[in-house]
Amino acid sequence: MHTLVTFAFKNVRRKPARTAILIFAIALLVSALVFSISFVQRVNGSIKRTSERLGADLIVVPNNARGAAEEVLLENQTKSFYMDRSILDRVRAIDGVAVVTEQIYLVTLSTMCCSVPEAMVVAFNPETDFIIKPWLAEKLKRPLAKGEAVAGAESSFNIRLGLVDVNSKLFGNEFKLVGSLDKTGTGLDNAVFITLDNMDQIIKSGAAGKLKPSDISIIFVRVKPGVDPSRIAAKVEDTIIEADAVSRRDIGRNVITALKDISRIFTMTIILAAVMSFFLVWAIFTAIANERAKEVGIMRAIGAKESHIMRLYLIEVLTVGVIGSLLGILAGSALSAVFSSTFSIVQQLSTSLTLTERVVIALVSFLGGTLICVLGALGPVRRLKGLEPLLVIKTE
Amino acid sequence: MPQIALENIVKDYPVGSATIAAVRNATTSVERGQFVSIVGHSGSGKTTLLSLIGGMVRPTAGRVLFNGQDVYAWDSDRLSEYRCEKVGFMFQSASLLPVLTARENLLLPAAFHSKPAAGHERRAEDLLRAVGLGDKLHAYPSQLSGGQQRRVAIARAFMNEPELILADEPTGDLDEETESEMMQFFLRMNAERGTTFLMVTHNSDLAGRARQRFRMDRGELTVLQ
Ligand SMILES: Nc1ncnc2c1ncn2[C@@H]1O[C@H](COP(=O)(O)OP(=O)(O)O)[C@@H](O)[C@H]1O
Ligand SMILES: [Mg+2]
Repeated sequence: MHTLVTFAFKNVRRKPARTAILIFAIALLVSALVFSISFVQRVNGSIKRTSERLGADLIVVPNNARGAAEEVLLENQTKSFYMDRSILDRVRAIDGVAVVTEQIYLVTLSTMCCSVPEAMVVAFNPETDFIIKPWLAEKLKRPLAKGEAVAGAESSFNIRLGLVDVNSKLFGNEFKLVGSLDKTGTGLDNAVFITLDNMDQIIKSGAAGKLKPSDISIIFVRVKPGVDPSRIAAKVEDTIIEADAVSRRDIGRNVITALKDISRIFTMTIILAAVMSFFLVWAIFTAIANERAKEVGIMRAIGAKESHIMRLYLIEVLTVGVIGSLLGILAGSALSAVFSSTFSIVQQLSTSLTLTERVVIALVSFLGGTLICVLGALGPVRRLKGLEPLLVIKTE
Repeated sequence: MPQIALENIVKDYPVGSATIAAVRNATTSVERGQFVSIVGHSGSGKTTLLSLIGGMVRPTAGRVLFNGQDVYAWDSDRLSEYRCEKVGFMFQSASLLPVLTARENLLLPAAFHSKPAAGHERRAEDLLRAVGLGDKLHAYPSQLSGGQQRRVAIARAFMNEPELILADEPTGDLDEETESEMMQFFLRMNAERGTTFLMVTHNSDLAGRARQRFRMDRGELTVLQ
């Protein structure tokens, strides 16, 4: 076995330029795999985690604000949208609804109202809230009082950096920052949270533009056990024309749809790269098979079994595949790190991949690259292994 | 039981629509430990005869028996084992693998052996020393002269301690002195280990030192003594 491995390694080094091209092609394929799987996985994972962390079975937002709401919840975008508070009672009244809670989204604009960079301010109802409370419990052992604010994990980071000065005025009111939240992986990590009872003063100050006291932005709904959230969502859509409802399963569907196009481009690129790599490996190993036919004849004549020939060439192919795949994983990871920041969709995501996810992606890509290599070489190598020892005797 | 028995061996090569009869109805037997020389004009079928015996070319008709067993009734793997473990073949033309050193070329048959003996690395080096190439263990074929390459191929044939050596003009391109040394080596292996030799040669002096002599003439095999 040792002799065969040495032999295979020597074969790999026989035509360095040719081997380099092969390794490069496989590396390219694998890096494309790593990059695109990471990208798609990161977006998908982030959406899934968000809808889990939100703890609501469905959300109700103003008509046509569905996209904006998802951008707030998933992508850290700052958006505001409003509907009338009466919708809250109408949703609560729907059969199957367990609890509801409302929030109001305000966008701070550094030029207009507040001495902070553009950020989301979320006013929530501490009486009914079940969204913020779980995140808050850890940090603050008492309910949030009027005139107090807590910061999301990311914005508190900004505050610590001095980018945001909370003690200055927020919508014409003084707030005292009393804590910060854990990282949730949702877009709300960038927000600052206050309670609803501050809204009167904010509206009175006129700093919140044309916001009316009866305006709310979003309603979070929990359904009763055994009730299908999408049925409630449909009911809301039917009975409340001013509102859109999105069930937990559908949160992020807009983002996913946008992602589908990107995924499709990735998939096409990868299929193309895989087909090209396959044919490159096939062509090179066909050439190798022709060049080394006599050598294989010699080996067969001195007693090599077909399995020995197969093994010898598989080691060669695997060596190329493994080196190419490893380089590809390095390149793909670097590419992900550098270029994912140019996709705004990823830039906005607050979560990154876990170590396990990274390892799995690397493993999958590695297997993909190596498999293409082996598949491409299989045909030529199988033809080689069947060679009769005759050749060596004949050629003079 | 003879070690090798040929029963009505016929070998035709198709060439276009015609066929060339390389071996015509050869029947003979060789006892274990024999030293046989084979003479004959070029194209008379000597190489084909050795290949048939060595399990490398399937006969058109007839049987090749090794220790009473029909060689060509075996499957591909068993045939490979026969070539690997029972037979040592010295080819007429260059047959070293160019990417391997002299030593590695010798290790290859051991790598194909189904039960490789311990100490084959040592054995490879000893054999190379025995053919006078102790200082060329790590030389590549391209760094060796034709005669030196020939001697590496000779040494390789002995790697798996075969019962039978099939040598196709093994000393063809050696100088007289080396040729004689190689011949001494063969005779010693034959005498000490009882290895059977079938050797094609044009050298009538060498042919004369064999105990049994075959002649090939246009595919016809005649046993001279
Ligand atoms: N693979 C082959 N295909 C066709 N003809 C062959 C082949 N090998 C040998 N021959 C022919 O068979 C005859 C015997 O060849 P060979 O056994 O090599 O003779 P020798 O070794 O005595 O020179 C020659 O006419 C040769 O041309
Ligand atoms: Mg010949």
